[in-house]
Amino acid sequence: MSETPLEKIRNIGITAHIDAGKTTTTERILYYTGVSHKIGEVHDGNTTTDYMEQERERGITITSAAVTCEWKDHRINIIDTPGHIDFNIEVNRSLRVLDGAVFIIEGVAGVQPQSETNWRLADRYNVPRLIFINKLDRTGADFYRAFDTLKEKLDIVALPLQLPIGSEDQFVGIIDLVEMKAIIWEGGELGAKYHDAPIPADLAEKAKEYRQTLLDTALSVDDAAMEEYFESGDVAVETLKRCIKAGTISGAFRPVLCGTAFKNKGVQPLLDAVLDYLPSPVDIPGIKIAAEEGEDEHTERRRIKADPNAPFAGLAFKIINDKYGTLTFVRVYAGTLRSGDTVLNTTRDHKERIGRMFQMHADKRAEIKEVSAGDIAAFVGLKDTMTGDTLAAASDPVVLERMAFPVPVIDISVEPRTKESVEKMTIGLQKLAGEDPSLRLRTDQESGQTILSGMGELHLEIIIDRLKREYGVEANIGAPQVAYRETITRPHTELYTHKKQSGGSGQYAEVKVVFEPMERNGGIVFENKVVGGAVPREYIPAVEKGIRVQAETGVLAGFPTVDFKYTLVDGKYHDVDSSALAFEIAAKACFREGMKKASPIILEPIMDVEITTPQDHVGDVVGDINRRRGMIQNQESSSSTIIVRAHVPLKEMFGYISDLRSMTKGRASFTMQFHHYDPVPRNIADEIMAKSA
Amino acid sequence: MPTPRLHWMRGRRDEEGGEARTLEWIGCDDAGAAIARVVRLQGPLHTNWRLYQAVALDTEARVVQLRPPPPAGADWLAYIGGQVVGRAALPLQAVRTAEAALGAG
Ligand SMILES: Nc1nc2c(ncn2[C@@H]2O[C@H](COP(=O)(O)OP(=O)(O)OP(=O)(O)O)[C@@H](O)[C@H]2O)c(=O)[nH]1
Ligand SMILES: [Mg+2]
Repeated sequence: MSETPLEKIRNIGITAHIDAGKTTTTERILYYTGVSHKIGEVHDGNTTTDYMEQERERGITITSAAVTCEWKDHRINIIDTPGHIDFNIEVNRSLRVLDGAVFIIEGVAGVQPQSETNWRLADRYNVPRLIFINKLDRTGADFYRAFDTLKEKLDIVALPLQLPIGSEDQFVGIIDLVEMKAIIWEGGELGAKYHDAPIPADLAEKAKEYRQTLLDTALSVDDAAMEEYFESGDVAVETLKRCIKAGTISGAFRPVLCGTAFKNKGVQPLLDAVLDYLPSPVDIPGIKIAAEEGEDEHTERRRIKADPNAPFAGLAFKIINDKYGTLTFVRVYAGTLRSGDTVLNTTRDHKERIGRMFQMHADKRAEIKEVSAGDIAAFVGLKDTMTGDTLAAASDPVVLERMAFPVPVIDISVEPRTKESVEKMTIGLQKLAGEDPSLRLRTDQESGQTILSGMGELHLEIIIDRLKREYGVEANIGAPQVAYRETITRPHTELYTHKKQSGGSGQYAEVKVVFEPMERNGGIVFENKVVGGAVPREYIPAVEKGIRVQAETGVLAGFPTVDFKYTLVDGKYHDVDSSALAFEIAAKACFREGMKKASPIILEPIMDVEITTPQDHVGDVVGDINRRRGMIQNQESSSSTIIVRAHVPLKEMFGYISDLRSMTKGRASFTMQFHHYDPVPRNIADEIMAKSA
Repeated sequence: MPTPRLHWMRGRRDEEGGEARTLEWIGCDDAGAAIARVVRLQGPLHTNWRLYQAVALDTEARVVQLRPPPPAGADWLAYIGGQVVGRAALPLQAVRTAEAALGAG
């Protein structure tokens, strides 16, 4: 597997808004690089990367799929990601472990809401990017207008490396501004045939103008290149490419390419650009190690360089359970690993023995014997490694920078159709939740119901469908509910004594706990301040666990309690009657009593909603958002449509799509994603509590 | 693209932060005399407990305060004989501005 030298490896992702053409582009890449012998189409349900049944039925990507291909003596590992916001975890984890990305936008609509979200995600992980303006064959496609939306919406220095020749159904090829030539596709043979040509006369002026912008922008990152330019009034192609690569990696500018994946034009130059401008594992500064607790996220920390001879370090970024067992996908940052080796899971602090190793091609796999820095492989046989965990050599047990996971905001209750499948359902859901950090599973302490939290209705629908197909469990689900949270607003100290000492072996435990509010997203923090053994050491974990478990079911309406700190400050025990169980029970009761006195409140998810509506319906749309307790953030017009951006409580957005359609005669559309949690107003809190009682 | 009439050379550099970047290009005539300069604006900059929003450096590297500050993105100044003749976002554009001004003048 590691025949290819590091400089000739590219690990890239393809990311975009829904339906921009990621899977279609990936499919072309596999065809032109000779991996597949025929082009699959999303609408025929036969693409390589959309291999799940649900993906093929629906024509959308749900899970990210990795494929590998060879192009001009280089190896490119590609991850095709989904565009739908419900599956954003897939984009998140892919961008986290990739060295570069191809960012697709549509030639008709330009930058769309999900492109923006994914762009910011790539910013967070500092991923170098190429932009591909796709679908130039479509009626209404306009390269220049789509290009303008890059500057407007993303506020970036977008730098065209190509210009289109012709448009819509007359789109025949591109002008390559680096080499100043035209590339024309001949039609037929699925776009495999193309040739160079002189730049068409009617585009000569435009090409010159854009070439000058390219030189002005690209050369400014490299003084030697500037000098070369001053010498001769131009630079060698190699010099220009070197500058474009440097600027792409540093993010000084973002190169823009174009084409139509569906009509098979522009994909090969895109592959060339991936080799020329996106970094190999050795071109990047290396991955940062995680911040120590309390340390600022942004401080400069040690980086792990891609070196196959260094101690091993890798990040588990994806887990799949299939009929052969659990596959753990790992991006290797340093060192070399052979099957049979033992490494440390430094996140959870235990050893893992590496069983078999595979290189993955969508759902097919090829066994490999070793894997080294720069590569991505799937391991079998890891016992307890979750998404985001670091695996490292015992000689240098680093913890790599963690991943951030999206917040699940929709709850449904799940119940198996038959009593016998309760256990099967629990196992299935636990496995699915193990694969997907944006899916959470909990049991309501009072009703005993299993509650599943996910990113949206589509996400949960797919999970229930997978439960049926992959685990053979038919489940009934409740109506989707808002995933409320509870928290406290005031510190409170609670003393609780648990005592059952009437004959036989008794139970005794006393705990004194300080509950304090933390800032939003602060999580749950435990501190032990017991002195002099008032609570014996061995019982402390029981206290910690008791409160953590009980916090899953808040005191107001049974929603998980978040963002608080609890400190065990004192307690009492009995030589004979105390036990871990007694302390756990005491801790749980202490939480229930204490929380009530710490001014608890209910939090609701507030969504960032973006509505695209024709001009003549703006009034209705805005009025309706106000009725839904929404706060308009801004309004922007682009040609004949208006984009309204608002923060609206998720509760008020149920069924919005049909209301919006009838309000605008089907002409408006919207997208939304989680933004933050806010306290719910009094009357709504009462409503929620009444319902849960 | 008109052939540049001046010979441009690297001027002052900023070596801070491990990465050297050129802050100035100097345009000389055939006899080697400095005719024009393009200078990267710096700022906000603290010197002597004063805060400058945008500054350039004169030939002796003294701070020259600019008023009003240039629009965002126009980071390069083209100078001829101590006179600002234009501003641009990129150094090559500023070079063209300087040469155009020479041609016109
Ligand atoms: N006309 C035209 N249609 C295209 C082009 N590229 C993709 N499509 C079509 O657009 C639709 C969506 O394409 P996909 O490749 O599934 O898009 P995607 O970005 O992978 O979508 P998700 O994974 O669901 O986010 C399909 O019907 C494609 O055939 C193109 O260049 N031109
Ligand atoms: Mg897709």
